[in-house]
Amino acid sequence: MKRILIIDDAATVRLYHRGILENAGFTVVEAVNGLEALEHVANTVFDLYLVDINMPKLDGYGFLRELRSKDIPQAPAIMVSTEAAVNDQKLAYASGANLYLIKPVRPQRLLSHVLTLLGLTLPNPDHSL
Amino acid sequence: MAEPLTINDEDFLKFREFFYRKTGILFEDSKRYFVDKRLLERMNATASENFRSYFTMLRFQTSGEELQTLINAMTVNETYFFREEYQFQCLVNSMLTEIIAHRKTEIPIRIWSVPSSSGEEPYGIAIYLLEYWPQLRNWDIEIISSDIDTSILNRARHGRYSARAVQYMPTILLNKYFHRDGEYFQINQELRDAVEFTRINVTDAAEMRTHRNFDVIFCRNLLIYFDDLSRKQTAESFYDALNPGGFICLGHSESMSRISALFRVRKFPEAIVYQKPWGMK
Amino acid sequence: MTLAVVNVSPIANKKFHSLLIKTKSEIEMALTKAASQPTTIEDERQRIRDQAGLLIALADSNPLVRRWAARDLLTYSNVSAALVERLLIETEPSVIEVILTTLTRIGDECAIEGLIRCLRTENAMLRNAAIEAMKLLPDEIAPFISHLLNDPDPDVRIFTVDVLESLRHPQVESWLIRVITEDAHLNVCGAAVDLLGEVGSECARPALLALKQRFPEEPYIQFAADLALTRIAAG
Ligand SMILES: C[S@@+](CC[C@H](N)C(=O)[O-])C[C@H]1O[C@@H](n2cnc3c(N)ncnc32)[C@H](O)[C@@H]1O
Repeated sequence: MKRILIIDDAATVRLYHRGILENAGFTVVEAVNGLEALEHVANTVFDLYLVDINMPKLDGYGFLRELRSKDIPQAPAIMVSTEAAVNDQKLAYASGANLYLIKPVRPQRLLSHVLTLLGLTLPNPDHSL
Repeated sequence: MAEPLTINDEDFLKFREFFYRKTGILFEDSKRYFVDKRLLERMNATASENFRSYFTMLRFQTSGEELQTLINAMTVNETYFFREEYQFQCLVNSMLTEIIAHRKTEIPIRIWSVPSSSGEEPYGIAIYLLEYWPQLRNWDIEIISSDIDTSILNRARHGRYSARAVQYMPTILLNKYFHRDGEYFQINQELRDAVEFTRINVTDAAEMRTHRNFDVIFCRNLLIYFDDLSRKQTAESFYDALNPGGFICLGHSESMSRISALFRVRKFPEAIVYQKPWGMK
Repeated sequence: MTLAVVNVSPIANKKFHSLLIKTKSEIEMALTKAASQPTTIEDERQRIRDQAGLLIALADSNPLVRRWAARDLLTYSNVSAALVERLLIETEPSVIEVILTTLTRIGDECAIEGLIRCLRTENAMLRNAAIEAMKLLPDEIAPFISHLLNDPDPDVRIFTVDVLESLRHPQVESWLIRVITEDAHLNVCGAAVDLLGEVGSECARPALLALKQRFPEEPYIQFAADLALTRIAAG
């Protein structure tokens, strides 16, 4: 089963994304900031990361830079943020994001991007939302 | 007969704020009974008329003697030998290996065990090094251990333990490093000489200045008594007490990830610890 | 070579006993050795540690010196302005952290205004750290909240809502209700409804229902508002 790490300091956002992903059959782990996420990364292998930008302690950019510098199997990362500015997007890609989505993300849209990045096809109808 | 001594809500809040400023320790409302009981004991012992007069003495006594006595009464000193032993394994198998690999000179490796409480932790570290770190043949190690509580420090220097404190210590080590003294276990003189005990308040910047150049800090089961700001402040002081590449070990219920971004998470086979990155000033 | 567990005072330059172990099992007393650690501390070599000296040290080229200056300035009064000035140009994250800790401890008006200025900075690390600092100062920050929630920049409004999180202040709920009722910006409302799920009471119900009406096509708002309503109903 594919494992996804959600990194966001807002509890409701984590819950929202978790619901969408668990419905589609993924296993989800949560972290409240970049540092906590790195602790999870030290313990567990993930297939995809869903990363917020603005977080305390270590923000999304910082997390991705640390992650990408690690000598571990790398997985795709989706950055989700309220910031629509081009600069933020550039910085996200430069930090190692594979995709940049603007919040709030609609369930179908999130799911289809996740599936594409993981090289999977759309789930069975009974798994859909 | 004199009025019975009491502590009202306002007194409690005043005292809580004062004690927090002095020690970093924040008493939640749920600790009210614990706090009142000890305060009343000290008010009785000092023959104070009421809370106000006691509080005034606490704040303005130049020697600070009563404050220290009260601190001694308010701290929770619970500890035992080989608590969270996996971190000691991590020390001898992983952390020290990395430290000596980077070491260019032969200066001693310095370990700080804070808070020491009654000494089980620093003595345990010394025993672990003697038993399980063969490199001790080639390297000197200095162990410093500190606490805010002066009476517990005296007990630590003394090194006399109940059966309960040593219950997780293998018998063979118990026989080797302790001798029986009635129902107590007395740690031997060599180990007592191997650990230097000092008094420190970790939330006091001036006191923290005098403790520096450490390679490993064990700070276990202290930050749980603090609020977020005191935790952060203490972590920042530890950062400057560490050499580059130095490690910090927290208690199992404590995580640096919610306290400070200064340290890097390091995963070793035995434990997750935090590191001041190599090359950081 | 002999094995040694050495005992030394943290304040160096004191004679001490050491114990030498010849074999793994054999322990015996050994020589007295001199302390090995440098006694001068880098940042102390150069400056006097009074207020004027510390303020100069705040601009030193060595981050260690800057951190110690920022830490030690806590014992002086009227230093917030200088700390804020440094904060806004400081680039080293470790120094930023220490300055923010000192400003949080001081918590005077000048410190608060400095933290608020950080909400507008482009430096994300500084901004996020300042938001964290503000969360620790509920009473001091409260008088500024209303004003910040009216800021023309939606980002500043979102950051302000972030500050409200874990701000133990009695007015938090009414501020949040105002945001979800009046703010036109989707993500500002999103952040606010998020928190209402945690702190909301019956008073928030009408505003939450109205919010759902206002953004009928937004699954996230629907989700978050429903969640808040469920939690409120559950008490
Ligand atoms: C529960 S013991 C922990 C002992 C040991 N490290 C362990 O994990 O078993 C907590 C100790 O922290 C000490 N302490 C509390 N506040 C302190 C402070 N501000 N500075 C230094 N020590 C403090 C108390 O005196 C007490 O001995």
